[in-house]
Amino acid sequence: MKVLVIEDEQGLAESITDYMVKDGYICETVTTFRDAEEKIHLYTYDCVIVDLTLPDGNGFQLIEMLKRLMATTGVIIISARNTLEDKLKGLDIGSDDYLTKPFHLSELNARVKSLMRRRQFGGYTEIRFQELVVVPQTRKVFVNGQPTTLSRKEYDLLLYFLSNIDVALTKASIAEHLWGDNIDSADSFDMVYSHIKNLRRKLLEKGAADYIQSIYGIGYKFSQP
Amino acid sequence: MKLLAKTNRIYLAFSLVIYLLTALAFYQIIRLLIYEEVESRLRVERRDFETYVRIHNTWSSSPYFVENKIEVVPVSKRQSVRESFRDTLILNRYDNELTPFRQLTFYEPIHGVMHRVSIRKSLIQTYRLIEVITATMVVFLGLLLLGMFWFQRRLSGQLWYPFYETLSRIKQFDLSTNSSLDLSPTTITEFNELNDVLQKMAAKMQQDYRSLKEFTENASHEIQTPLALINAKVEQLIQTESLSESQTHWIETIYQASRRISRLNQGLLLLAKIENRQFNDSQCIDLANLLAQKLADMDDVLSFKHLSIQVGPVVPFEVSLPTALADSLVTNLVNNAIKHNQPNGRIELASTPDQLCLRNTGGALTTEPERLFERFKKESSGPDSVGLGLSIVRQICDSYGLRIAYQAADGVHEICIGRAS
Repeated sequence: MKVLVIEDEQGLAESITDYMVKDGYICETVTTFRDAEEKIHLYTYDCVIVDLTLPDGNGFQLIEMLKRLMATTGVIIISARNTLEDKLKGLDIGSDDYLTKPFHLSELNARVKSLMRRRQFGGYTEIRFQELVVVPQTRKVFVNGQPTTLSRKEYDLLLYFLSNIDVALTKASIAEHLWGDNIDSADSFDMVYSHIKNLRRKLLEKGAADYIQSIYGIGYKFSQP
Repeated sequence: MKLLAKTNRIYLAFSLVIYLLTALAFYQIIRLLIYEEVESRLRVERRDFETYVRIHNTWSSSPYFVENKIEVVPVSKRQSVRESFRDTLILNRYDNELTPFRQLTFYEPIHGVMHRVSIRKSLIQTYRLIEVITATMVVFLGLLLLGMFWFQRRLSGQLWYPFYETLSRIKQFDLSTNSSLDLSPTTITEFNELNDVLQKMAAKMQQDYRSLKEFTENASHEIQTPLALINAKVEQLIQTESLSESQTHWIETIYQASRRISRLNQGLLLLAKIENRQFNDSQCIDLANLLAQKLADMDDVLSFKHLSIQVGPVVPFEVSLPTALADSLVTNLVNNAIKHNQPNGRIELASTPDQLCLRNTGGALTTEPERLFERFKKESSGPDSVGLGLSIVRQICDSYGLRIAYQAADGVHEICIGRAS
């Protein structure tokens, strides 16, 4: 899958690219409006990650241009501007998602994956990882073919893990993924812990392997034991 | 008191005093003149009398006539005073009224016998004259006073018109719009200077407002982007397998710190934007319902902390607020009620059409209640708290005509939002 990252901050563009490449994406990076314009005219991408404030232009114009050229390309805006007007305008002209800087790379990755799932196969797709199968459309989870009942947050948590396999996820990024930006409580990490404990117990009960590893001081990682 | 009313009042009081003094002086002068006239006539009569006595060496008087009466009384010894004038009242025998007279008394020997002679003249006509003159003067001075007063009013009204015009333009002036303050030139130098100064000030204020607005927008971008970079790099760094325990700890600290800066930055920018009134899409929003929804959204946080919710009668409490701010308001209120709660505590919500109250159980305050809404005022020094939540709530309330009140009693803290009167 081909992703174009349009971001003027070189270091951030690099980090995004590195993260995506590790996950198996083909990633290209441009830092200016002019280069981005050239790229979207020449090639087609499955997903474009675009910053709104570019040194020589506005991200909104790029999105409008892109939507005229190739309407099926997924667009995710990453911007330091967090006003409601910007978000609404972004969605209005055809972008699929809006992430406010600073964001977690794992969150961006999860959003890209979710977007790709929605775009491809008419939205019907299963996520498989070893003996786990998740059907996002019906929000059902199967372990070795047996259905497993998860709470809303546990399901979101599992999907977040499955989008970021083999990646160390910070507690903060998990908390923000589950409860949004507004979670401002010191208890959120304890709540993350409690949800992870429940998820792990439920998966183990159905006979899955113990995929969730705790990383000291940082957070958790979902990977082969 | 209005400027014109005030000047008119002072003018009126001052004029009254002056006019009264003038009237008094006028009265005295007329009186003096009349007395002088009467007295000179009395002296003439005295000469006539003396001449008569010298020629005839006798005097017969008829005491019948009151007017111009000359009274001659023999006296044994002559008084030391040669002649004296005095006022006297004499009873009019027909209408039984006392009539004022001026009387000249002197001593004259007739047939070698000293007599006291009193000649008097009625003052009744002159008194009437004074009355008429005084009355006329009062009427004319009064009319003059009223006329001046009316003229002054008209004149001041016209003179001050540019001032009131300027005042009403300033009142209508809105800093956040792009239209500049237009004040029409006048013929009065001082008002022109005033208008000039005001226009310059308004232009400066607008420019400051614009640059402040741009600053908050740029600051947001310029600070959030490096923070995004730090976050991204830290996230990449923690993917490294061979991190020692202390390295992990350092990374975690960096990560937490950058997240705190980010929150702080967002909070301060939000406050600045509310202060600058950069939100202007106010809508009618039912805060009570929004708050109830927010509480429902937080159900897993609430159940995790074993907090129970009691939603009392939720009557719509409708206020006019920008959507984004209404959301920020209720989020901060709910977060505050959760954060400062105690295990197995309660959160209660009640509303009336004029007031919305959120109560939560919690420990006693360590700071003064009034300082709770100040920036960076934290009850607990948790690393996750930047201490801006309640000041954002306060700022939103202050800027959009709402009143916020805090009360604590018996371990129950209550924050009420009502309409500012």
